[in-house]
Amino acid sequence: MDPTLIKMAIGGLALLGCIGLFFGIGLALAAHKFAVEVNPKVEEVKEVLAGAQ
Amino acid sequence: MSLPRLKGLFYSILATLLLLFCSQGFAAGSSDRFIQKSAFKGKNDIAITFAAPVDEAWAKDVSNYRVYEEPDPDIRLEISSITLSPDHKTVVLHFDEELNQGQPHIVTIKGITSQGKNLGTAMVKVKKLYLGFLFSIFIGAMLIHNFVFTKYLGLCVFFGTSQKKSTAVGMGVTFTIVMVVSAMMSWFLYQFVLKPFHLDYLQIIVFIGLVSLSVQAVDTILRKVNPALFKAFGVYLVLVIANCIILAVPLILADNEYNAAESFMLALGAGLGFLVALFLMSSVRERLELANVPPTYRGLPIAFVVAGLFALAFLGFSGMSIF
Repeated sequence: MDPTLIKMAIGGLALLGCIGLFFGIGLALAAHKFAVEVNPKVEEVKEVLAGAQ
Repeated sequence: MSLPRLKGLFYSILATLLLLFCSQGFAAGSSDRFIQKSAFKGKNDIAITFAAPVDEAWAKDVSNYRVYEEPDPDIRLEISSITLSPDHKTVVLHFDEELNQGQPHIVTIKGITSQGKNLGTAMVKVKKLYLGFLFSIFIGAMLIHNFVFTKYLGLCVFFGTSQKKSTAVGMGVTFTIVMVVSAMMSWFLYQFVLKPFHLDYLQIIVFIGLVSLSVQAVDTILRKVNPALFKAFGVYLVLVIANCIILAVPLILADNEYNAAESFMLALGAGLGFLVALFLMSSVRERLELANVPPTYRGLPIAFVVAGLFALAFLGFSGMSIF
């Protein structure tokens, strides 16, 4: 295959991966900052339930 | 790094971006550095202002200019005469026929000569008042080519959240915010990342990612800031990800090669157009609750009929042009 094409594909992968990583970290920080306190019992009850549905 | 310093860094980045956008927006008038301004003057004239005085013999030669309307480069417009201002900076081209100012005109200026020096050839696009053009993009996206009623996009969210006025307005506002944010981000990525790296064939994937990113961000923030509205949206907030208007706008921007200001106006117009559509529809549907609708039509069917009637009414805007 044409090496320039491979180069372009790998470059694109790396670039979009970096962008994705950047925005992912941004979202994680936002989620941390705007975290809503959820009653931990809700999770516990959900765990105990059968969860067949 | 301490928090205030981080904040300062953030603001400075924001300011730089803003400056970049502004300079992009204002530089749109001419592409050559030596030409300061180009504009229509009256009905038959085009005025071009140079950065420095130009030579009279060169400026008055009609063969140095080539003027045509942007869509048809083959049809040259005849220049009848040329006047040069006393300070030798502004050239006014007179035409016998009235110019069609709805179209941008391209003026090619051959071998600009200033103080005996040849400065090369320049190409200028002469457009109508730029703010007017922006406004027409805005009104066009909002009413004339309303995405819901003339393009039939985004109907899922449209029918899902137009049952109550308050939900509809909340949805419209959120939608507008998400739309503007994601459209600006995708414009930026398209112009400065995808195009320079020849990755424009990936535009749909990247735009989908950006839309889901902004929806996720709004979801996270709204959950904390306004839980009541968040509850009212329910599943529809997440459905914005799958909304086609929000994906259509970045694709239109990429297709038309809009600049930052134009992109912003189109996104804002599309968002507000959706808000208008939602508001109109919810007003009707609230009244429909009290109306005596035949049982077969109750619920969604009558809503589709109403949407069709709205679409017919919006057809009245088609073909309209402002400025």
